Amino acid sequence: MNNQKSAARAAGTPDPITVSVIGSALTTIVEEMCRVLVRAGYSTSIKERMDVSTAIMDTEGAILAQAAHQPAHLGSLLGITRRLLETHRLEDMQPGDLFIGNDAYEGGGTHLNDIVFIEPVFVDGAVVAWITNIAHHADFVDRGTAHIFQEGLRIPPVRLYAAGTLQQEVLDLVLLNCQVPHERVNDFRAQKAANRFGINRFLQLCDKYGYAVVRDASRAVLDSTERRTRAGIRRIPNGVYAWSGRMDSGRYEPFVDLKVRIEVLDEDIIMDFRGNPPQVRAGINLTYMGLLVSAYFAVMVLVDPDVPPNAGFQRPIQVLADPGTIVCSQAPAAVYSRTDTAEVLCDLIFSALSQAVPETALAPCSGRGLLTVSGIDPRSGRYYVYNESMGGGEGAHLTQDGATAVQTAVSNSRNVPVEVVEFEYPLQVVRYELVEDSGGAGRWRGGLGYRREIRVVGHSARAAIAGNYLRISSWGLDGGLPGARGVRELGEGIAPFVNGRGFLDAGQSVAIATSGGGGVGDAHQRERQRVAQDLREGRITARTAREDYGFDPSVAPS
Amino acid sequence: MLKDGNGIRIGVDSGGTFTDVTLYNEATGDLSIWKVSSTPDDPSRGIHEGVAQALARFGAGAQVTYFGHGTTVATNAVIQKRGAATGLITTAGFRDVLEIARQTRASLYNLKDRRPDPLASRDNRHGVSERIAWDGSILTPLDADSVRATARQLAASGVRAVAVCLINSYRNPEHEQQVGTILREELPEAFISLSTEIAPEYREFERSSTVVLNAYVGPIMQVYLERLTQRLKAGGIGARPHLTQSNGGVISFEQAQRQPVRTILSGPAAGVVGATAVAKLAGHRNIITFDMGGTSTDVALIEDAMPRFAVDAEVHGYPIRVPMLDIQTVGAGGGSLAQADAGGLLEVGPASAGAFPGPACYEQGNDRPTVTDANVLLQVLNPEYLLAGRMRISQAASRAAVQRLADQLGLGVPEAAQGIVNMAIANMVRAVRVISVERGYDPRDFTLFAFGGAGPIHATRLARELGIARVLVPRSPGVLCALGLLLSDLKSTFSATRLCRLDAADAGEIAAGFAAVTARCDAWFDEEAVAAGDRAIRLSVDMRYVGQGHELNVAVAGTDDTGDMLAQLKAGFEQVHTQMYGYTAPEEPIQITTFRAEAVAAVAKAPIRAHPPASGPAEAAIVARREVFLPERGGFISCAIYDREQLGPGHAIAGPAIIEQMDSTTLVLPGQTATVDAWLNLIIEG
Repeated sequence: MNNQKSAARAAGTPDPITVSVIGSALTTIVEEMCRVLVRAGYSTSIKERMDVSTAIMDTEGAILAQAAHQPAHLGSLLGITRRLLETHRLEDMQPGDLFIGNDAYEGGGTHLNDIVFIEPVFVDGAVVAWITNIAHHADFVDRGTAHIFQEGLRIPPVRLYAAGTLQQEVLDLVLLNCQVPHERVNDFRAQKAANRFGINRFLQLCDKYGYAVVRDASRAVLDSTERRTRAGIRRIPNGVYAWSGRMDSGRYEPFVDLKVRIEVLDEDIIMDFRGNPPQVRAGINLTYMGLLVSAYFAVMVLVDPDVPPNAGFQRPIQVLADPGTIVCSQAPAAVYSRTDTAEVLCDLIFSALSQAVPETALAPCSGRGLLTVSGIDPRSGRYYVYNESMGGGEGAHLTQDGATAVQTAVSNSRNVPVEVVEFEYPLQVVRYELVEDSGGAGRWRGGLGYRREIRVVGHSARAAIAGNYLRISSWGLDGGLPGARGVRELGEGIAPFVNGRGFLDAGQSVAIATSGGGGVGDAHQRERQRVAQDLREGRITARTAREDYGFDPSVAPS
Repeated sequence: MLKDGNGIRIGVDSGGTFTDVTLYNEATGDLSIWKVSSTPDDPSRGIHEGVAQALARFGAGAQVTYFGHGTTVATNAVIQKRGAATGLITTAGFRDVLEIARQTRASLYNLKDRRPDPLASRDNRHGVSERIAWDGSILTPLDADSVRATARQLAASGVRAVAVCLINSYRNPEHEQQVGTILREELPEAFISLSTEIAPEYREFERSSTVVLNAYVGPIMQVYLERLTQRLKAGGIGARPHLTQSNGGVISFEQAQRQPVRTILSGPAAGVVGATAVAKLAGHRNIITFDMGGTSTDVALIEDAMPRFAVDAEVHGYPIRVPMLDIQTVGAGGGSLAQADAGGLLEVGPASAGAFPGPACYEQGNDRPTVTDANVLLQVLNPEYLLAGRMRISQAASRAAVQRLADQLGLGVPEAAQGIVNMAIANMVRAVRVISVERGYDPRDFTLFAFGGAGPIHATRLARELGIARVLVPRSPGVLCALGLLLSDLKSTFSATRLCRLDAADAGEIAAGFAAVTARCDAWFDEEAVAAGDRAIRLSVDMRYVGQGHELNVAVAGTDDTGDMLAQLKAGFEQVHTQMYGYTAPEEPIQITTFRAEAVAAVAKAPIRAHPPASGPAEAAIVARREVFLPERGGFISCAIYDREQLGPGHAIAGPAIIEQMDSTTLVLPGQTATVDAWLNLIIEG
C-alpha cells in the first residue's frame, strides 16, 4: 500500500470513468474468486454444480460486489458480518484471521450446508473491507429435520485461522461432525484460496488507486445502483398486489398455504409476508435472511435484470414478516430444504405482480427436484454423498414459452455431468431426458421437466428425493393449464419412501421426473406450427395435441 | 520448404466485405498488399481473383512457397444459422443431454433470455443401445443393427452431418469408432464427426456441444475448402494451403476440413497475431486490438505481448472445448446499416449491406445509409473514390441515403451522419469495455491498436471515449490479418486423456501417454513435410489432486529418466498450484488426466524492417485539402490530406488531418499529433 498515493488522491471525488472501472474491478474480483473456488474445489457441489458465491463487503457488511451463481446466496452473506461483529470486536481483528460460520440463527447463514469463510482486509493497520465466500457442502445427510440440532453441526462465527495460524482444534471439531471429512478439508482449502485471491486483488486495487478512491468509488457505485433500482420500481404502477397459493414439499406431509402482499409506492416497494403460518417441525422453514432472497430475486427480475446485486439495490426494498412463522423462523426451526418454500414464494410474487405489469407475467415454475444418494463406495471404502439439485420447466411468459429443463427462481446450480457422477460415485446414470407432456398447455407452453434415473452399483445406499409440486399441481395464468406434477419413480422391489427417504439395494434404481412449468393463455389459440413442431419433436404426445390443443395432425401444417 | 528461398509467400484474409492479400517476396524482402471485394456466395472466387491480381502485379513468374488463410466461413455459418441439418447419435437414454446442457439459465435475472437452440433438433437426436462404464469397460456391447436403423432414419430425414458422442467414450473410443464406420457406410455423403476425435475430454455436454458444432459447420467448410483448393491449383499455386485456427496457429486444409470447429475464430485470430507482433516490435506490449471491418468488429486485449485465451470458450452461446483466443465480436462495421427504430431513435447495425450491394455510395442497389456513407458525406472518407482510386463511389448517393434518414429523425444531414458514426462508436465502446473493464483492466493503461479497413477512421474518437491516450495505426491496417498469416507458426495440438496417478506404479502409463502424443506430433510433422530442424514439440500435462474437478496445465521439459520425470512433474504441479491457489496438499495423491503436445513448425516469418528517418518535411506528403465535418470545430473545416505512402519515420502531423492510403483512412482529431515511428506505424497521441 502506497500511503502517499492514497493521501494525494483522497482529496478529490473519483471521476465517472474511475467509478465504473473500480465498480467493474470489484465485480471481476468476486467472479475470479468464484473461479478459483470452483477450480480448486474437491466435491461436486463446488467443482461441478458451482453452488458457491463470493462477495466483498464494507466494514459494516454492506455488499459492494457479489458474484452469485445462485440467487439463493443473495441472502446467505447478509447476516454473517453483523453476527460476527456482535460476537467479536473489530479492534481485536488481525491480518490473517479467517472466520467460518454456518448457523442459520447464530452464524448468519440460511442452512447448515452453506459454510461461509470471511476474512478482514487491512489497509494501514485498519479493517477496510471483508472478503467472503460461501460454498454448499454435500454433507450432513441422512439426518433428522425436526429442528436444527438434527440437521448438522451448528457453527457460529469462529476463527479457523488466527493471524494466519490454523486452529487445528476447531478444524478437528468440525471434521469429526462431517460424514465426508476428506472432501470437507480439501474444500476448505479451496475456500481459503478463493479468499486469499480476493484479498490480494483488492489490495492491488487499493495500491493502484489509493484506498480512499476505492472507498469513494464503491460508495458511488452503491448510490448509482440505488438510483437505477428506484427508476425500475417507478415503472410499476402504484398499488397493492396480493396472491396466495398452496405448496407441497417432499419433506413435509401437510400442505402449506402461503401468501404475499406487495405494495408499490413510487420508488419504494414493500413485500409483506405477515400472516403466514407458524414455523413447522420440518426443514422447510425460511429464516428472515432466507426470505430476503425470494424478495430480492423477484425485484431484480422485475425491475432491472442487469442491476448489480449490491447493497444499493437493497435500499428501496422493505420486507415484512412475523417472527416464528414459516417465512421468518426462529431457533430451533429446521431449515435444510428452505428452498422448497422460497421457490413457491417466487411463484406467488410473480403471479401477484403480473396484475400490475402484465408484460412481466410468468406462470409458476417447477419447484426443484432434489436427489441425494449416500453410502460407502466399494471402490474406496469411503463414505460418499451424491447430491443433485435439479430444476424443471419454467412457467410460460406473456409472449413466449417457458424454458425447458432449467433451474428456476432462486436456484441456479449446474448439474453434475453423467460422466462425473459415474467417475466419482459407485452409481450409474440410466437416463437423463426430457419428460414428454410435462409442460403446461397454453397459448404459450410451460417448459418441460426432466428425468434423471440413478442405479446403485455394487453396494446398498440411502436415497432421498424431494422437491415441490410432487403431490399438487401448480397453476396456469390467463387460461393456461398447470405443468405436470413431478414424479418420484421407484424401481421394482424398493420399499416406499417415507418423508422423501428410502433405501436401495445394489442394482436397484430410482428416478425423479421434475415438474413442468405452467402455461399462459388458451391452448387452442397456440399457433398450429408450434403444436406440430412440439409433436414432431416428441415434446407432446398425439393425445395431448388432440385433447389439450385441439390439434388434428391430418389437417395441420407440417 | 518452410525456409527462406526465392519464392513468394502469400497470406489471404477473407472477410465479409473485402478479401485482403499480402505477398512477401523471399528474395527481396518486399511486402506488398492487395485488396479486392469479397464474394460471399463463394468466397473462394474472390480469393482466387485477389491472389491472381496480386501475383500479376507484384510477383509475376515467381513460385508460391506458402499460402496462409484466415476465413470467417465457419463462424458466419453459426451466426446466420446456415449450417447443415445435423443429427446426433448418443447412448440410449441421453439424447437430451445436448438440450438440458448444464441446466442453468441463460441469464440469472433476465428470465426472457434463452439458451440457444441445440444445433441438432430433438427429432434428429437418437440414442443407440450400448454402454461404456466409467473405467472404459463395456457394459453393453454396441447394437450395430440399431445404429444402422438409426442411420437410415437420419438419412430419410435429410441430415447432411452426423455427430457422435457416447457416454464415457473419452475412456474408450471403441464404440464411437464402430458407429462412425457404420455411418460412413450408410451415409457416404454425410459429414461424420466423432467426439473422441474432436475433443476427447470428459463432461458429456461440453463434448457433445463441441462435436455437434463441428458437424454443423463441417459440410460448408468442406465444400468451401475443396473449391478453394481447386481454384488455387488451377491458378498454379502448388504450396500446401494452411488455415489459421482460433488459437492463432495454423493447420493444413485437410485437418481443417476434419476439424472445422478449430477455425471458428480463424480470421480474427490472425489479426490478433499480426497486431501483437507488430506492436511488440515497436515496443508496445499492452494493447487493445480494434479490428473494424465492413460487417463486424473484433476487439481483444493483449497484456505483456501475450494474447489472452478464453476460459470455458463459447461461440454464440455454444460451449466448445478447443483452445481459442479471447476475442469479442460486435456485429457492426463500415457496412452496417443505419435506420430509425420504432421509437424514432437512431439504430446502427447489426444488419449490414455487406460487400454486395454494399454502401449506398457503391451504387449497387442499396439505398439505405451505412456507416461508410456517413463518413463519405462528412468527407472524412474520400468523397470520390476508395482503394486509392481503384473504386469510384458516389457521394450524391450517400447524401440521398442519409437525407432520407435525417428527414425521418428531424435532423440536419451532417448531424444525422455524425450521429450514425457516434452510434457505431458507442457499440465499439461497449465491446472494448467487455474485454478490459469487465475483466478488471483499465483501458487507459493500454494502447489502442487500430486496424481493419474502418478501424483507423474511428479509432481516435473511440480512444477519446475510453480515455485512452495513444492510438497505433500500423503500416497496413487494412490487411493486418493477412499480414498476421505470414507471421504465424504452423501449429497443431494433440491431447490424450489417460487418467493415471503420479507415482512409480504408473510410470509406464505416463511414459506411454507422452509417447502417444509425441507420435501424433511426428506423424503430423511428416504429413506437413516439416524439416527435422524446424520441428519443436511442447509437452504438457493436465494434473490435479485426486478429487479436484479442474486441472492445472504443467509444462514438461522432457526427460527420458522415469524417476526424474516423476519428480519434475510433481515439482511443476506444486509450483503452479501454489501460484494459482496459494497452497499445496502434500498428503493428497496427484493425478494426471490429459497428456498434451503442441507441435510447432517454425515458419520463416516475413521480417518487418525498420526504416531510416524521413528526409523531407511531412508537409511534402500533403496531396490535397478538403472540407471535413468535425463536430469538435462546429462544422466543415478545411483539412490537409496526407498520403501515407509519402510519410516516413520522424514525421509529425498536427490534427485535424486526414491520412489516406490504399487500404484505409486515418482521422487525426484537433488537438492530437500523429508521428511516424521507425516501422512506419502512426502513433497518435493527445
